[in-house]
Amino acid sequence: MHAHSVSQPVSQPWPQARVAVLACLLLGFGGEASAISDGQTPSSGAWEYLQRQFYPDRSLGVLDENFMSLEAPANTPDPAATPLTLHFGTAAVGHIRQIRIIIDNNPSPVAATFDLPSGARVAELGLRVRIDRFTSVRAIAETTDGRFEMRSAWVNASGGCSAPPSTLAAGTLGEIRFRPSPDARSMLISIRHPNNSGFQIDPRSGEPIAAHYVSHMRFSSAGQTLLEADTGISLSENPTLRIGSDQPLPAPIAMEIIDSADAHFTGSWNGAVASNVATSTAAGAGGTR
Amino acid sequence: MLHRALAPARLRAWLLQTVTWPLAVLMSLPGAGVGGAPALQLQALAPGVFVHIGQQLALDAPGHDDIANIGFIVGTRCIAVIDTGGSVRVGRALLAAIRQISPLPICYVINTHVHVDHVLGNAAFVLEHPKFVGHAALAAALANSRDFFLQQYPEDLDQPPSAVQIIAPDIAVASTLQLDLGGRRLSLKAWPLAHTDCDLTVLDTSSGTLWTGDLLFRDRLPAVDGSASGWLTVLDGLARLRVARVVPGHGPIAGDLPLALQPERRYLRALIDGVHDELARGDSMQQAIVQVAAVEQPRWLLWDGTHARNVARVYEQMEWQ
Repeated sequence: MHAHSVSQPVSQPWPQARVAVLACLLLGFGGEASAISDGQTPSSGAWEYLQRQFYPDRSLGVLDENFMSLEAPANTPDPAATPLTLHFGTAAVGHIRQIRIIIDNNPSPVAATFDLPSGARVAELGLRVRIDRFTSVRAIAETTDGRFEMRSAWVNASGGCSAPPSTLAAGTLGEIRFRPSPDARSMLISIRHPNNSGFQIDPRSGEPIAAHYVSHMRFSSAGQTLLEADTGISLSENPTLRIGSDQPLPAPIAMEIIDSADAHFTGSWNGAVASNVATSTAAGAGGTR
Repeated sequence: MLHRALAPARLRAWLLQTVTWPLAVLMSLPGAGVGGAPALQLQALAPGVFVHIGQQLALDAPGHDDIANIGFIVGTRCIAVIDTGGSVRVGRALLAAIRQISPLPICYVINTHVHVDHVLGNAAFVLEHPKFVGHAALAAALANSRDFFLQQYPEDLDQPPSAVQIIAPDIAVASTLQLDLGGRRLSLKAWPLAHTDCDLTVLDTSSGTLWTGDLLFRDRLPAVDGSASGWLTVLDGLARLRVARVVPGHGPIAGDLPLALQPERRYLRALIDGVHDELARGDSMQQAIVQVAAVEQPRWLLWDGTHARNVARVYEQMEWQ
């Protein structure tokens, strides 16, 4: 089906239940959050609800920018693809267990949950998200010793969840491109996927477009998983993930993806000298059924 | 109503048609125009060719409805309006200015593209019963923008704001179209994806005046709402036209077309090359926004915001090239 791709079916698909549960969580939060959050200020509404859900009785440290920082544009260049970058300092690298990205005023506030295996040396995480209206964006990290750190930023944007699909949404579903940095310490991964939010209207037909989004990612380097992520409708069209480390990321780099239609995609980069080497394949919707 | 002929206006129109004019005679026309609306200040570029130079302001600044260059061309039979400003109010002020110059009917209202600062004044001309003219893709672009205009610019429409005030073209230009105003011919050309997906230029063949719409920004940073590389290709096509003067979408009138295109070409080239290099290094969009074409910043007005959006758009496009 993809002539230039290396076929590499996912051998151990993630449990289907996980995807289903995630979808329910997303929809559940969507309803609750929009019911609560009308007219909220930056620190109320959806966030208070989510804090009770995820971090009850937890103290969220906010002091040390050297430990962790969140970079987000005050005025987004694109509400449907607002770039966010998390930087981790020397004391944090290798000591992060989980990172959750929360966009308070989005219909589905939990944009992504990253799980890092023990010792994963992640120094930077970048992604692009839809922003539905003016909102606080938060990153909450749980450290391996059980502490929580939160950073937040206020982003002026509106309409990111309902922005109509661009012509760039076309192309080979599930194609994955890899762009390593010259020092090999970071990798920019681009995923061809419409990541339809469920809040978009087809401008030609006037019909709503069903939600269709990347729901899970697994990133590995030289056979070692560096992170897994549960993701949702707040990721941008053609989602990107940029992963940085404090040391070179050895090839092969592999990315495995599941979407909300249960399609599986994989791509890998073998360390070829030429940059922008892209290999990917779609196992296809229902490929594991 | 507004067709009432006023003797001084008729005399002035005759003068405009017959007297040889120096370039860029500044005509200040303050005070009330016909119908009570204040008249826009005009610049006469050639006999029968008038432009109002918009201010270089941000799209959310006070006065944001008067930022585009808009104007009209007078033939012996009728008048063509080229862009109508960013509000019905500005459209009316343009109409009032027209009526200080000529009582002739307005047979065409031409929109150079979909953006709010060029089209929201259309409603002011409905009672003149012109044919609205635009790129073949303009109708769809307006349909996609209608909700956005109503949400973001309700104050710039007559109250209450309504979708019927956002007026789509009667005549769609797929490639080229000639319009006869009596004694002079306008040559319209529809361009492929560049500043937007519906860019249209107007050449007044009598005076050699080219209206580029927003295919040319001068002084103000160009905004890429279509394709930067497509835009560069279109600039090559524009540069081949032989014209006496250029009315850009924003910024001052120019005499030498290829020269006037150079700064915009340089910026777009820097934007494309810069994003290409950023992607080759695997840099993030945020790094690209800071680093790409940074040397261009002091050369342009209204850099903040627009440049970041340009980089983001080009980055998203080039990711998949």
